Amino acid sequence: MSATAMETYSRRAVAAPSARRRLSTSPRWTTLAKGAGVFAIVMIYIPLVWLAVMSFTANPLAGIPYPLTFQNYATLFADARWRPPLYTSLLMSAGVAVVCMALSTLVGRALTRMARPGASLLLVLMPLFVPGLTMGAALFIFLRTMLNLTLGMWSIFLAQLVWALPFCILLVLVVASRFDLRLLDAAEDLGASPWRRFWDIEMPILRPGILGAGIFGFLLSFNELPRSLFVRGIETTMPIYNWAMAASQQSQVPIIFSLTTILLAVTLPVMGAFFWVLFVKLDKN
Amino acid sequence: MSSSTTFADAPAAARSAPPILEIVNAVHAYDGVVALDNVSVSAAPGEFLTILGESGSGKTTLLRLISGLEKPYRVGTLKLEGVDVREVPAFQRNCTTVFQNYALFPHMTVGANVEYGLKVRGVPPKDREARAREALRLVQLQEMYDRKVHQLSGGQRQRVALARALVPRPAILLLDEPLGALDEKLRVDMQVELMQLHKQLGMTFIYITHSQEEALTMSDRIILMRKGKIEQAGPPAEIFDSPISSFAAKFMGVDNCFEGELVAVSDGWASVAVGERRIDGRWTGKSAPQPGAKVAVGMRAEWLQLSDAPPDASGEHNVLDCVAEASIYKGKYLDRTVKTALGPLKARIWDAASSARHPSFVRWKKGDCIVMNA
Ligand SMILES: Nc1ncnc2c1ncn2[C@@H]1O[C@H](COP(=O)(O)OP(=O)(O)O)[C@@H](O)[C@H]1O
Ligand SMILES: [Mg+2]
Repeated sequence: MSATAMETYSRRAVAAPSARRRLSTSPRWTTLAKGAGVFAIVMIYIPLVWLAVMSFTANPLAGIPYPLTFQNYATLFADARWRPPLYTSLLMSAGVAVVCMALSTLVGRALTRMARPGASLLLVLMPLFVPGLTMGAALFIFLRTMLNLTLGMWSIFLAQLVWALPFCILLVLVVASRFDLRLLDAAEDLGASPWRRFWDIEMPILRPGILGAGIFGFLLSFNELPRSLFVRGIETTMPIYNWAMAASQQSQVPIIFSLTTILLAVTLPVMGAFFWVLFVKLDKN
Repeated sequence: MSSSTTFADAPAAARSAPPILEIVNAVHAYDGVVALDNVSVSAAPGEFLTILGESGSGKTTLLRLISGLEKPYRVGTLKLEGVDVREVPAFQRNCTTVFQNYALFPHMTVGANVEYGLKVRGVPPKDREARAREALRLVQLQEMYDRKVHQLSGGQRQRVALARALVPRPAILLLDEPLGALDEKLRVDMQVELMQLHKQLGMTFIYITHSQEEALTMSDRIILMRKGKIEQAGPPAEIFDSPISSFAAKFMGVDNCFEGELVAVSDGWASVAVGERRIDGRWTGKSAPQPGAKVAVGMRAEWLQLSDAPPDASGEHNVLDCVAEASIYKGKYLDRTVKTALGPLKARIWDAASSARHPSFVRWKKGDCIVMNA
């Protein structure tokens, strides 16, 4: 995660028994590890690059990157139907991110202060293992059928929150579990009120975890499909729109290629920069 | 230690002034474990009070009760500067702590750490910085204002923690084994610096340690704790010379301690039967028990004299015959063990050349022999 964590990890690896070290540094294992790494990277990035290339071809579904054209992008920008779902998703994800930051900070702090956090931790993280469609269906049955509520933005928000929150809590926990509670005693002793202790001492030290929770909350919400599908009511988010377009109308597929390419082109550098600032730059200070 | 304007020399504390700290009958327990058992403590303004005791005896708990970080289970009186603070939270009490682990804020510079107590009191940044720099000068770290905490050595962190606690100018400075993590040489230097600082600032220091040597060197008064209770309290010389119990004696480094049966006690002198032998000494215990009660006899190794001829029977000494056993060379002195009717005794010999090679008698002054509660 952070540079220091990596450092401790590598130091521990050095301290391992010599037999283990010989195994892990033997040339054959190194070659194998490198090979597997290259394979994984290729498997991740080739399809993405292919998608981007295809978005510039006249007939993406044909699978031949020729002839090159901006036609798909022109069509995309002429079309206005994808814009409301995008705005909905941006707003929704921003909301989920903010609520995730607040809730995961609260829960993370509470868990690290408990004498026996085991059972509560398991309960909090359990939603991670519930399949998306199951969760979506369960939420639908509970909200629509049992409580007889009208589904809409709020239920999508709720479903995405349930999905993103456990990840965010995990991120905060990574930092919070290393937080030395005695620092708060020291601050109190020096005259800091409870609120000041939080803002001056705890928040700055937990910040990487909280910001990480915000980023992941946003990403998880922005890409969430199976749960939203069930509880959307009549609303449409970006993933729902893309999915519907890709699944039903052949004629729309080319502009989906362009749209996802644009999203990738914006998201990847922004996220890269964010993580660099968060974990490399802040860690050095 | 450099001179300073705001940390000006204070007049010697008036011992007759009302106590700056007053605790009566404090009781505290952590889920069933009694940490403090009816402890009463008071401190005069400007006093250097040391709380001495082994690990787990409740020293830190007592300090946290004073700072307010721990709320006592029950307490009769808890007053700081004459004001009842039983319901006052820690952040509103006029005392600061140097923690055992220093607890410096890792995300702040040295300067920001030292200034923090002023920042939360709303002191403007300029004054804050001036006062922080001055406190750092006081602990000889003036160059370190902009450093990060993790760039400091253990001794420097200790000084930063000290400066941070001093800056808000508390009525009482609490120090929880502040030198425990430092190496021997640094510890001795810091002892001297802390004593000078105490004299210069005129502040009340309450100092925790488990080292009797540190307590004897530094304090005006020592409180010896044992299992959450106060075993003995008094000036260093009193505790050193007249421990009231075998526990206090052993803690203060009395090497030879034996159990015996009190035969007679009068005018501060006691006569004890240890096995077949009669030993006479000063009674230093609390109220003297009836003859026949179990008591303890103690003598320091340095007061024992070894000889190969029977000493004159002057009546001023206890005398036993002995057989020499092992001796341990300690550089400045020699520790010699001899077997006697009481059991093995340790004698400390400073002048090895002129002492008996094969001693057969050991003697010590009755005034140097203490008799106390078992
Ligand atoms: N936070 C705590 N929870 C439970 N028990 C504690 C806690 N703090 C101290 N104790 C217990 O209280 C007793 C006194 O502890 P402490 O005041 O820290 O002693 P000292 O500082 O003299 O070593 C010990 O038995 C210790 O185990
Ligand atoms: Mg302690």
